[in-house]
Amino acid sequence: MSSDTPTSPGPTEGATGGSEVSTDGNAFFECNICLDTARDAVVSMCGHLFCWPCLHQWLETRPNRQTCPVCKAGISKDKCIPIYGRGASDQQDPREKLPPRPQGQRSEPENNGGFPGFGFGDGGFQMSFGIGAFPFGIFASTFNFNDGRPGPAQPGTPQHSEEQFLSKVFLWVAILFMFWLLIA
Amino acid sequence: MANIAVQRIKREFKEVVKSDEAAKSMIHLDMGSSENMMELTGTISGPPDTPYAGGTYILDIRIPETYPFNPPKVKFNTKIWHPNISSATGAICLDILKDQWAAAMTLRTVLLSLQALLASPEPDDPQDAVVAKQFKENPDIFFQTATHWTQAYAKGSTPVPEYSDKVTQLMGMGFEEHKARVALSNNNWNVECATENLLS
Repeated sequence: MSSDTPTSPGPTEGATGGSEVSTDGNAFFECNICLDTARDAVVSMCGHLFCWPCLHQWLETRPNRQTCPVCKAGISKDKCIPIYGRGASDQQDPREKLPPRPQGQRSEPENNGGFPGFGFGDGGFQMSFGIGAFPFGIFASTFNFNDGRPGPAQPGTPQHSEEQFLSKVFLWVAILFMFWLLIA
Repeated sequence: MANIAVQRIKREFKEVVKSDEAAKSMIHLDMGSSENMMELTGTISGPPDTPYAGGTYILDIRIPETYPFNPPKVKFNTKIWHPNISSATGAICLDILKDQWAAAMTLRTVLLSLQALLASPEPDDPQDAVVAKQFKENPDIFFQTATHWTQAYAKGSTPVPEYSDKVTQLMGMGFEEHKARVALSNNNWNVECATENLLS
């Protein structure tokens, strides 16, 4: 939309703007409506600078056809970005009857994968290895030593024999399953 | 709100005076007599290679209280033969002076836009239907008529002797010069039709 903006400053134009600043005060930061240095500055998505009171009045003047006063791109109150300079001593300036300048929007950085709640760290979380890998999942579980789960029970205890039994049952289930896979 | 309109007009005035176009005397802005700067007089020169070339056109500019959020009211003070400008009142049909106005436009851009309008008439969106019809149906007569009006009213220097003679002829019959010219222009310079028109 801003590509057809005749006044959008390209890199070269920016350079001439710099020289303009030196010769003509701070004309580069003039509001496009009142032609004065922009106060309570906001910038539109198409890159044009305005005083917020000026732009607000422009938008109020024609509520059903809100276009940028410079390039006529579509604009709206929500799509303006306020500009906060460092030496902004007029921050306490009550903007009279006007609604306040739109707030700056700060979005959270995006999460690059992973579910923070599960504590899997940076590794990808995978729900399934697919049907063929099902028995290996059984074997793999017996080799997990350092994952915080309680280790295998001591030999001789009833729990040990139960686990042995269960282990054998699952082993046989796994063997049958693989056998079935080979036949099928 | 210390009137934003007055502040802006002051700045725009400087802008026009400093502009390149003013240096080439293509546009000019006068503050007029009013103290509040709400009534100005603009001047544009007729663009070259048009029937308006060599002419100087004076414009009445009225700045509304709500400027720059609403467009200035502009009309031609100098009489002109153009499809988008009323030959009787000087009213202008130009979108940026109506719904296409934008607050970032200035008196300089308005004057330049009007100059561009002189160079490229828009007969499908006419202000003066008679002129627009002539522009479409008899482009040669339109061109000559516009040239003649430029010479008669805008200090143009290109005479159209045939048309001047016809105006003089009607004046000899006791008609007022401007009325005679209008009647002839409206009737494609047919003297009989124009006379009939004047007598009716």
